[in-house]
Amino acid sequence: MLTKRFLILAPTLVSLFLFQSYFWVPTFEDQVKGDPGRLTRYISASLGDASILNPTLSADAASSEVNSLVFEGLIDRDLDLSFRGRLAESWKIFEEAYLLVDESLKLSDGAPATAKVLLDRLNAAKRSQAQALRLVQTIELLPGATVTEEVRPPAREKRSQGAQPAKVVIRRPPRLKFTLSEVDQDFFEELDRLLGGYVKRLDPLKFVTAPDPAIAQAVAEERISATEANPVIIFNLRRGVHFHDGHEFDSDDVRFTYETIVDPRNLSPRVPDFEPVKSVETPDRYTVRVTYKRLFQPGFESWGMGILPEHLLNREQLRREALRAGKDQEKFSVRDSAFNRSPVGTGLFRFVEWKTDQYIRLARFHDYWEGPANFKEYLIRIIPDLLTTEVTFYAGTADAYGAQPHQVARLQNDPRFHAISFLALGYTYIGYNMRRPIFQDPRVRRALGMAINTDEIIRYVLLGHGERTTGPFPRQTDYYDPDVQPLPYDPDGAARLLSEAGWKKNGDGILEKDGKPLAFTIITNSGNEERSAIMVIAQNAWRRLGIQVQALTMEWAVFINQRVDKGDFDAVVLGWSMGLDADIYQIFHSSQTGHFQLNFVGYQNPKADELMVRIRQEYNNERQVAMAREIHRLIAQDQPYTFLYVRKNLALMDAKIVRMKPGPDGKPQYLPFVPNKLGRVNFHFDEWVKTPTPVLPPYRSEISAR
Amino acid sequence: MFTFLLKALWRKLWTLFFVSIVSFAVIHLAPGSPSQIDPMNPSFTKEQLERYRAAFDLDKPLYIQYTLFYQRLFTGQLRSFKDNQPVLGKILERAWNSLPLFLVETILIWCYAFPLGIAAAIKRNSLFDKVTTVLVFALISIPGFYLAYLGIIFVVENFHVDVIGLRTFGREGVGGFYQLMDRTWHLVLLSVLGATAGIAVLSRYVRSQMLEVIGSDYVRTARSKGVAEDAVLYHHALRNGLLPFVTMLGLLIPGLIGGAVILETIFAWPGIGRLGYEAILSRDYPVVIALNFIAAVLTLIGTLVSDLLYMLVDPRIRL
Repeated sequence: MLTKRFLILAPTLVSLFLFQSYFWVPTFEDQVKGDPGRLTRYISASLGDASILNPTLSADAASSEVNSLVFEGLIDRDLDLSFRGRLAESWKIFEEAYLLVDESLKLSDGAPATAKVLLDRLNAAKRSQAQALRLVQTIELLPGATVTEEVRPPAREKRSQGAQPAKVVIRRPPRLKFTLSEVDQDFFEELDRLLGGYVKRLDPLKFVTAPDPAIAQAVAEERISATEANPVIIFNLRRGVHFHDGHEFDSDDVRFTYETIVDPRNLSPRVPDFEPVKSVETPDRYTVRVTYKRLFQPGFESWGMGILPEHLLNREQLRREALRAGKDQEKFSVRDSAFNRSPVGTGLFRFVEWKTDQYIRLARFHDYWEGPANFKEYLIRIIPDLLTTEVTFYAGTADAYGAQPHQVARLQNDPRFHAISFLALGYTYIGYNMRRPIFQDPRVRRALGMAINTDEIIRYVLLGHGERTTGPFPRQTDYYDPDVQPLPYDPDGAARLLSEAGWKKNGDGILEKDGKPLAFTIITNSGNEERSAIMVIAQNAWRRLGIQVQALTMEWAVFINQRVDKGDFDAVVLGWSMGLDADIYQIFHSSQTGHFQLNFVGYQNPKADELMVRIRQEYNNERQVAMAREIHRLIAQDQPYTFLYVRKNLALMDAKIVRMKPGPDGKPQYLPFVPNKLGRVNFHFDEWVKTPTPVLPPYRSEISAR
Repeated sequence: MFTFLLKALWRKLWTLFFVSIVSFAVIHLAPGSPSQIDPMNPSFTKEQLERYRAAFDLDKPLYIQYTLFYQRLFTGQLRSFKDNQPVLGKILERAWNSLPLFLVETILIWCYAFPLGIAAAIKRNSLFDKVTTVLVFALISIPGFYLAYLGIIFVVENFHVDVIGLRTFGREGVGGFYQLMDRTWHLVLLSVLGATAGIAVLSRYVRSQMLEVIGSDYVRTARSKGVAEDAVLYHHALRNGLLPFVTMLGLLIPGLIGGAVILETIFAWPGIGRLGYEAILSRDYPVVIALNFIAAVLTLIGTLVSDLLYMLVDPRIRL
């Protein structure tokens, strides 16, 4: 019977055809033997796809990995995390400070404060080596001018919209310009003392005439200030560096990159880093002069931003591209350009192709200024699943991957792989909403922290892959004060602290004060097992003290938008990922406690506030470190968070990958990896090679905090 | 017949209109906002968030967003929030990747479900029937992702070959035939896993359908006339037994864009299910709504086609 035979034959044949394909597929070992090209190809696995290959516009990790290979910034961090010149050969930071001259004022000895008198006195003081002027190199007098302008009333008030522009007369007074050899945030304080309180008596409002005092106030604030401190960075660019298309890199590219970021049409997520910049000038092809509006030390790091090629993205090029694509030329911005899917930079690798959600292929750049990489190709393979990534790694189709704690045990001692463990840059914490009366007493917060056995959390939740942290700075940096001791695990001590704070057990064993039980809710986002586990552990520990604790997980968007952003919570389990700078203003400053701001726990400490402002204006590393450590101690004292731990990440790599350098005899010399202070081993990526068989024993490293 | 077509189309257009509203509303009602305007990014100022919202038209009233959205969808102007690429292009590319998977899976399902179902029906209450019943229910109950992990680990541990993605990654410069076989191999595990549940369900249907037909009067008549058993089963019974499954052909059409969300994610298969999944996670509204809308269109076309097919194969049905 034909039908019957068909019913049996069809599945058999289909299956046979499918399964025979196995015999044509290479195994782990064959991939290298059968395809020597595989040795020159480095494959890294990424959980997510890149979104936009333009360093000025991207914000996600996957895009950053590609962008850091294709593009290069003016500076980056060296092995010891100090700054190192890349596209900039060297740099100099100094300060230009401006002081108004109000000739109607009198100096402390009664002499009129004319420009000439001021200048003479300052020069005399400088000759006699006054402390206030020790950094001053030159003092110049800038003439004033009078301008008349039409100004719209301040737009803050809705009702005044559409009001007639008002005529405003600004009599810009002459100014004294000081050039300081380095940045000094206390310069005007000291100058004020030298001039007997002259600086503090200056009033910009005097120099503005307007029909409406509100307008005068606004204009005076915006256009005239009694003092102005502008840090200046001069970058000397490296000569003879080329973009991947052969065009030479110069100062116009730097200026263009800056302009791209601040152009509002481009919606760059990096605007906040560059907002404090006043101007970027290019005195010549190899010099860039950056002037800041105010003292803002964390801004320096942002010059590590990849530099865009001006010749491919300037106005004229975009106009042509818009024309080709039939788009509106006016609206067409860098964000719309096809460049973002086929970027051109000056980096170690040049872009070749991007298959969405599959892979991104890069090829080595032969004219790289520091010499080309050993690997011919760099591929970023996108695998959205963790277990599959691990399996892919076994199968030999990925060379490196970041393992989770639970995966480490089965791989860590496998001789086929290098294993590199390093501390992450973020930390996990329990935050207490200090707007709630129960959390206002620091003793309560300390007691809650002491009740939790953090070492056990690290041992059982993280399977040992974490270290304790005691404060807001990354443990790898000098800002972290190693002398701050973590809270001891001491439930009895916690109970004592609580009773000191007035919480006594009632008949049911529940802590009570003024007839009210100690009860609150701890929340975290769902989908993060680590945080859920911590939440439950904390709940248990606190219940044993006699506290009524509810624990809840909720979907991320609800958790953030409805609860955290609105300050509608008691306690949260959350984590921060940190940068390397000492700026924690947004997270802990008392001005940042509003809705949708990041100090959602409502932490306030005037001393810490002052330090957080000062540390951003401090350009001297030693002084910054001293301030940061003081902030660290203050915050550890106040315990707005129970600081829990920093995770350790584990990177696994095929043991066939080693560093190679030509030795003195011309033969290749194989070297082990040298990680930087953050634990990244790919610092010397240009020297990496993959050998057919392992030539060095597997690299094992356990990078601890310091 | 013609009036039926017109009427059906008219009704389906209305359905589509409501689907368009609902799918648009659902995603906007869901909590969260596109990842580009994540308020937890410490470096974002309020003004910037506003600017992003404006660029994505999220500051406009919903009904204006709705009109803008469908206007852009129909003129091909719609762009993804995530990478600013045209949405239709993205969907087409992914549908193309999912197509071989869909084809192989369907072939496997139909090749296996019918013989299994028929055999189980013929040998009713035999050991074979009981074993397949248990097996089938086991396959239906085990979660697909779990089977997938087991399958992957089994193959990689024992055979040391790559099974993830479209092809063996990093292997280049080999002949076209090797490439073809490599790609076929990467289809195998995924499509077998994808087909298991389908085979299990469909073979159950086939079994009960066959049982019903075998028990009917005309089959008894044929048997009593002395027709050979094979002829009775495969000629007389099977024909009528297959009737309902013809309509299922039409319902396959939406499968073209359905994709397998979890399996595609586990296998890093750049298909349409993964596109939708990732779009939902990052609240990439244009992609999510467009996918939804296209799926609705295909489903409606599918039901229409199956109605017509039924009319074609079953002369008793007149519309």
